[in-house]
Amino acid sequence: MSNPVIEAPPTAAAVTWQEGEVLARRASARHKRKRLALLVAGWAAMLGIWQVAAYYLPFGTLPNPLEVGAEMWDIVAGGALVSDLFASIAKTAVGFAVAGAIGAPVGYLMGRYNYWKAFFHDGVTVAGTIPALTYAVLSLIIFGLSDLGPVLAVALVSTPYVALNVAEGIRGVDQSLVKMSQAFGRSPRQIRREVFVPTIVPYVFAAIRMSFAVAWKVEALTEVFGGTNGVGFQIRNEYQLFNITGVIAWMGLFIVFMLLVERLVLRKLEQRVLAWRPDERAVQ
Amino acid sequence: MAVLTVKDLCKTFGAGTARSNRVLDHISFDVRGQTFVSIVGPSGCGKSTLLNIISGVEDHTSGHISVTGDSGSPARLGYVFQDPRLLPWRSVRKNMLYVQDSADEAAGTRVDRYLDMVGLSKHGDFFPGQLSGGMQQRVGIARAFAVEPDLLIMDEPFSHLDAITARGLRAQLQEIWSHSKKTVVFVTHDVVEAVELSDRIIVLQPGGKIFEDIEIDLPRPRRQSDPAVATLQAEVLARLENMKALTPTVASAV
Ligand SMILES: Nc1ncnc2c1ncn2[C@@H]1O[C@H](COP(=O)(O)OP(=O)(O)O)[C@@H](O)[C@H]1O
Ligand SMILES: [Mg+2]
Repeated sequence: MSNPVIEAPPTAAAVTWQEGEVLARRASARHKRKRLALLVAGWAAMLGIWQVAAYYLPFGTLPNPLEVGAEMWDIVAGGALVSDLFASIAKTAVGFAVAGAIGAPVGYLMGRYNYWKAFFHDGVTVAGTIPALTYAVLSLIIFGLSDLGPVLAVALVSTPYVALNVAEGIRGVDQSLVKMSQAFGRSPRQIRREVFVPTIVPYVFAAIRMSFAVAWKVEALTEVFGGTNGVGFQIRNEYQLFNITGVIAWMGLFIVFMLLVERLVLRKLEQRVLAWRPDERAVQ
Repeated sequence: MAVLTVKDLCKTFGAGTARSNRVLDHISFDVRGQTFVSIVGPSGCGKSTLLNIISGVEDHTSGHISVTGDSGSPARLGYVFQDPRLLPWRSVRKNMLYVQDSADEAAGTRVDRYLDMVGLSKHGDFFPGQLSGGMQQRVGIARAFAVEPDLLIMDEPFSHLDAITARGLRAQLQEIWSHSKKTVVFVTHDVVEAVELSDRIIVLQPGGKIFEDIEIDLPRPRRQSDPAVATLQAEVLARLENMKALTPTVASAV
């Protein structure tokens, strides 16, 4: 450039940014190791307390971690895990899909139009504060012994979360970006796809994470009382056989699986979709 | 040929109510093609309102306004705002492609050319959040030029930047404009900036009348350090002192 550009050349700014990135990555690696150590210590403490409790409690009350571990292995090796776990996952997933199909449009209307907000607001808020147990009982009363009970329970628990978060997301849309798009003659469809949807996605992830934590518990609970298959159903079976080791083993397997889904699938997916956010980049 | 024609334009907010506020009062001017025109005036004198009427976001109370495109097709407008207004979730390049009417190869070439002109050819794949405020505003400028508008509208694009960054961007804007010769309407409250950039300065006064219409006939590229530029800047500023003296009476008359 022939002009007397006083501003620092762009590359200089980029280098500064990259240096910052390197420092941040180093800091986050240290941070990661520390976090992993604490995570392991937490698990060790938990298993230790369990072991001690099992030792001092009267025989047959609480099996120790090793016994439960062996039982878990038997369940996995015996193949029962796959079919029952799959049944529970399928029911949770269908319940979620129903929650999305109902909650997302309701949330869209609430976020977009004040009339609809007035219409839905109290109902959705109340639905969100009702204890999950109530939904489980309600689903059992409606469907009795059936696969639909757990599905309904998950849907009922998750719908308010989805609706409220989508509404929040829509209200978070930056109007100056909408005006910019209109000034450049973008169509409503383009504005929806390029401005609205990307704004809402982080809120939807938050909704899924929050409701997932409750949904899978409600799903299992409903199966305990009204399931014909699934993890909750197996827990009831073992209970009726007075096999406490079996009850805890199934519980443990379910917890392990849900942790995996939460930590590996949901979090990774979120990081990928939200890669543009500065804080997400720092995490990677 | 005139790209922009404004004739007897009036704008009154809240006409017929107790809060009726006349912002533009019988404004008339033409802007020829390939000229850089600044609209200058104290804040609140109706500059943004005038731009909003030109772009069709706001309607006017009376008068006539028209923007003519090449070859009779509807005029294409480009915008640079006070803030960059980039989509944070799209890369720099995708932000620029977003406002293109077709995503063909020609659009991609245009985008790359203007990105290069603002010195950001290496940053096409960066997200806006990874760039400084000045760099983001450069993307905003490149985005507007890359739609090859018949009329480019800029509303105080440098007023949110620090003085040094703003100075660099003005130099760059001059250079890009010299290459592309787009018709520009540039709003600012900074007379010095207007003299450096424009072929012509239209001065609005509070109450929404045109106070002066000044031709700036200086060779380009213009530099801040050039005595001729400095002299003219001082002269224009001195002429506007008259308006300052006039301001209280005008304001109380409104
Ligand atoms: N939508 C509006 N409704 C009522 N008054 C407005 C509106 N927009 C702007 N105004 C008034 O018009 C005047 C000019 O505003 P504006 O064009 O933004 O000034 P400038 O851009 O020159 O600073 C101000 O007094 C402002 O209060
Ligand atoms: Mg303004």
